[in-house]
Amino acid sequence: MGKASHIIIGLLLVALSGTVLAENEIPGLIRSGQYREGTLGSVIQPGQVQQTSDGVYSVGAYPLYTPALAQGEGREVVQIFCRFCHSTTYLTMQPPLPAAAWEGVVNKMINTYGAPISEDSAKQIASYLRAHYTQTARKP
Amino acid sequence: MLEEKPWLMSRRLLLKVIGGGAAWLSLNKLTTALAQVSSQAVEPLPGFTGPEANPYWGSVGPFVIYPQKLPLIQLTDRPIQLETPRHYFLTPFTPNAAFYVRWHLDEIPNAVSLSDWRLFLEGNVGKNLALSMSDLMSQFKPVSIAAVNQCSGNSRSRFQPRVPGGQWGNGAMGNAVFTGVRLKDLLESAGVRPGSSQVQFEGLDRGRGPEGKGSHSYLKSLGLSDPVIGETIVAYEMNGEPLPMLNGFPVRLVVPGRFATYWTKALTWIRVLTEPDANYWMSKAYCVPNTLRGNTTPKDVNEGKVEMIPVGTMPVRSFIIAPDGSGKIPEEMPVTVRGIAFSGYGSVVKVEFSWDGGKFWNKAELGENYGQYSFRTWQTTWIPKRTGKYILAVRATDERGNVQPDEGVWNPGGYLWNKIERQEVIVGAAK
Repeated sequence: MGKASHIIIGLLLVALSGTVLAENEIPGLIRSGQYREGTLGSVIQPGQVQQTSDGVYSVGAYPLYTPALAQGEGREVVQIFCRFCHSTTYLTMQPPLPAAAWEGVVNKMINTYGAPISEDSAKQIASYLRAHYTQTARKP
Repeated sequence: MLEEKPWLMSRRLLLKVIGGGAAWLSLNKLTTALAQVSSQAVEPLPGFTGPEANPYWGSVGPFVIYPQKLPLIQLTDRPIQLETPRHYFLTPFTPNAAFYVRWHLDEIPNAVSLSDWRLFLEGNVGKNLALSMSDLMSQFKPVSIAAVNQCSGNSRSRFQPRVPGGQWGNGAMGNAVFTGVRLKDLLESAGVRPGSSQVQFEGLDRGRGPEGKGSHSYLKSLGLSDPVIGETIVAYEMNGEPLPMLNGFPVRLVVPGRFATYWTKALTWIRVLTEPDANYWMSKAYCVPNTLRGNTTPKDVNEGKVEMIPVGTMPVRSFIIAPDGSGKIPEEMPVTVRGIAFSGYGSVVKVEFSWDGGKFWNKAELGENYGQYSFRTWQTTWIPKRTGKYILAVRATDERGNVQPDEGVWNPGGYLWNKIERQEVIVGAAK
């Protein structure tokens, strides 16, 4: 074959591929086939447990999913005293609260719930909460 | 045959809802398992909201797995508080596996032996009783009731200014068919002696704090002269199944129309008192201002001007469950707007829908009436004519004429929220 026929075949192929491309252009399809790493995590399904036919009805231990507390002075005191009755998720769940509201919470734990917290420790706890969990201090 | 009382379910409805033997199978027809949705799945919600009101329908915690439960939204892990995701409210009955969870103290049951567990009736009674689960099922007439269980602090994260406590979105509620024995039958069996004033309920919601303090045991009481005593049941079945451990296995109190604080879980002691119960959980916790709607201000609270009384009946509420704003709606496409409504004061008789933020209201169609204390589903068809942003709104009216207000409420405990609910949706071009 001569040079000319090569050019003709080449032109034909370009024309054909153009046609194919045109056929793939779906009106209105903006994006497709996009994936990315899942950033939100996955939840593992629990396994099944053998039951017994006696009178005992059991669900095993309850899982803890406690977020970390902000690093800073007083964190250990908070963990020692607050975790006696409840996990610190009770703290991280709260919206940013004014310092006075946090003090109110600490006093409530001592006075009405009977938490054995000394005056000094209560001050350290309130100071930690003020430093990390008020409107101006709270970090996402 | 079950007795025909307005608050009890008729045999016809009961069979329809929970069927005979294959209870769960037939219940499945009324409940669907769907989780909270978004139009994307990459960016997380923020880990907390505030100091503004939580703008989301539910609370913002992660989905977590607990025994006998589908993934629910975590508020706290010890004691355990879990919120039901929005889409489980598309149906009138909330599946047990998705029913919200709220314990007060951390020494809650992991395992209970029905060979040894007994329900005790004691205090100012003629004869102390110790009843096994088998005694409850065989010696007393079973009754069933569809009733909404709603946490007093449901929607607390809407409060402005925000208040400390469980930062619930709207999912601290659920509706179930509860089957059990009447409290009255149990009290009659034990014989309430003259001079009695209240009945105290204690379950296995207990903690490690000192005796006599709120952190030791969760105690609630109802007045013997309170008419709700006649409607209260001790339930051993929920939606035709045993109660999940986290919802109060073996038995829980069902106090129709009242907030869930009175629905003692893992109920073990029923105590007839001669004096009003002054324990922490009655006198300090779960108290609301003795004002219209339980409304007050931080200033009046700080100045000691507010008289507080125990929270009681649930005000009328309604919710838009779908559409939820996770996707755009094409213009001129008919949309089925769906949701639920309820009131502790009586049947919901009217639900109104608005697509202009609450300026104009139209009556929605009500679903089956499962009794005055049940969720009532509602739906309406809305055809958006133009593109743009719409604010959908819903408001319910109960048979006593109570209508949902368009103002929020504020009190220090974060209770009694029942403002008109809104949902923003975007209508897109279709041509």
